[in-house]
Formats: sequence, C-alpha cells, structure tokens
Amino acid sequence: MPNFFDLNVHAYPETHTPAEEMLRVARRYGYAGIAITNHDDSVEEQQEKYPSIYMGIEIRTNSVSELNRKLKHHSGKVPLLVVHGGDEKINLAALKDHRVDILAHPCGEKGEGVLSHILVRYAVENGIAIEFNMNALIYSRRGDRARILGRMRDNLHLVRKYKAMSILTSNARSIYDLRAPREMIALTSLFGMRRGEAVSALSDIPLSILEKRWNKEKEVEIL
Amino acid sequence: MRRRDRRRYLVFEVMSEIEVDKYKLLNAIWNSMYSLYGDIGTSESKLWLVKYDKLGIGILRCAHSKVDEVRAALACIHSVNGAMVGIRVIGISGTIKGATRIA
Repeated sequence: MPNFFDLNVHAYPETHTPAEEMLRVARRYGYAGIAITNHDDSVEEQQEKYPSIYMGIEIRTNSVSELNRKLKHHSGKVPLLVVHGGDEKINLAALKDHRVDILAHPCGEKGEGVLSHILVRYAVENGIAIEFNMNALIYSRRGDRARILGRMRDNLHLVRKYKAMSILTSNARSIYDLRAPREMIALTSLFGMRRGEAVSALSDIPLSILEKRWNKEKEVEIL
Repeated sequence: MRRRDRRRYLVFEVMSEIEVDKYKLLNAIWNSMYSLYGDIGTSESKLWLVKYDKLGIGILRCAHSKVDEVRAALACIHSVNGAMVGIRVIGISGTIKGATRIA
C-alpha cells in the first residue's frame, strides 16, 4: 500500500475538532499524514507541531491585490500554501504565482468557477497542484452535485491534457467528513478518474508537494 | 452455466456522533444509491443489508461487479437522521462466512 496523504483538512481553531483527533482517525483510515490548512482569515498563527501533521494555510480572499499581499506575508513561513479557489480572478492570480502549492477547489465549493486551458498551463509552469475536493461531492445532492461533477470532469480533462498535478483532498471539517483512501478513490470514479490516477493523486503527488517544500527549506539552511 | 448470482459482502464501519438506527441507516444508503445511480443503477447493484449491530459494524451484500459503486454511495452519506456519520468499508468477501470473520 502506498502512503496516502490528505492535504486539506480543517481543524481547531477553525473548527471544533482538534488536529490530533483528526490525525488519529486519519491514521485509522490508512493515511500516513494529513495537512491542516485552516483559512487564514479565521485563524492568525498556528504553532502546534505533531509528527505527521503538516501545518499549512489556506488563503481566502476576494481581491487579487490582497491575495498577493497575503502570499508575500505567508510564503516561506508555512510548509504548505493553499489558495481558496473558485473565483476566476483568484484562480488566475494564484496559478500565476509559483509560491502557491495547491489551488483548492478551483471549481468552487458549489461548482461556480471554471478552469481553462490557460489556467492549467500556468499551473504546470509553476508546479501548482489542482485539487479535487471530495467534500463537495459528499455534501451536495441533485443539481448541485451534477454541476460539480461536470466541472470536475472538465478539470480532469484539462489536467490530463497538460499533465498537470492533481490531488484529492477531503476538505474535512470534522472527523465524520474524513473518508478512507479507498472510498476517496471510489468517489473519483464518479467523474471518470482512473484508478491509477486517483491513487497517485492521493499518495505520490501530495508527497512530492511536501518534499518540494522540505527541499526548499533545506536549501535555505545551507545558504 | 452459473446457478447463482455472484455476490460480494462488504463489511463496513459507521462512525457517528450518536448511535445510528438500522432502518434509518438503510434508508440513508438507499437514498444515496438512488441519488447517485438512479433507479436502474440501484436495481443492478442488488443491495441488501445483511447485518448491522449497535457497535456500528455491518455487512452489506451487493452484486460482485458493483462494489465500487456501492463504496462510492457509502462514502457519500454524510448524515443519518441529522447526526453526522462517516462510513468506511473495512473489508470485502465473496462469502458471508468470510465477511463475518472480518467483522
């Protein structure tokens, strides 16, 4: 079994569930590690450190200038920089910036945003992973879910065409939102992702994102 | 010629805030299947709840080719009767004996 990682989990102080509780359940489900990425506008600083928990931050904003300001503020300080996508302008600005690691739910939490060929090309250029958010599928029904599935299908098509990185995350806000890796893989088959792609989107690619960041940190230390 | 349908037994575990009633859970599973695959897809899956105990461990029977579909439907259940739940498949077996051993 490969090592699975869930790189978008929200925990205390943004939600009521403490991070170690999340890790306990995730471990039980078969994950090697999780990344806590609380929204930057709901928490200020997070210092807690546990092995197998990576403390990231998810930047949520409506304006491009604010996004750039926040990226400047956070870059280099957190191991994982995630941008809360959805809005077309924000998607574009985030994918143009090499400091970003992951663009979270580019189709928005309700399926309102779109990715385009241009955006995915920027993602490849800057090594940014496109997230597929399973929580959106779990919590929506009927029309909403149909729209989200359609968007994910389109995104998957673009990701395949340009060989962009894609990752699967639960975007969990409580332990009941977490899903075991095999369940996540089964969910991806709903929008046509192949098994192999889904496995690597849950194991190799998240690991490579984390390693990239470690290597950068090491380089800084050597200098 | 095959005499019997090939089946799979899925052993699943429900993690929930409060104890979940068997019939409410079954209802949620059916609703999730209908919502994802419609009436035809659901009928093809030949779903049947074999066993469910109060500890949150249960056994579901389905057609052997529909395991992934059922798994996805189980993953899509987020609440039963207002209580938040998360369902995980622990193991799969081709026989009920094997499934009971896992559970």
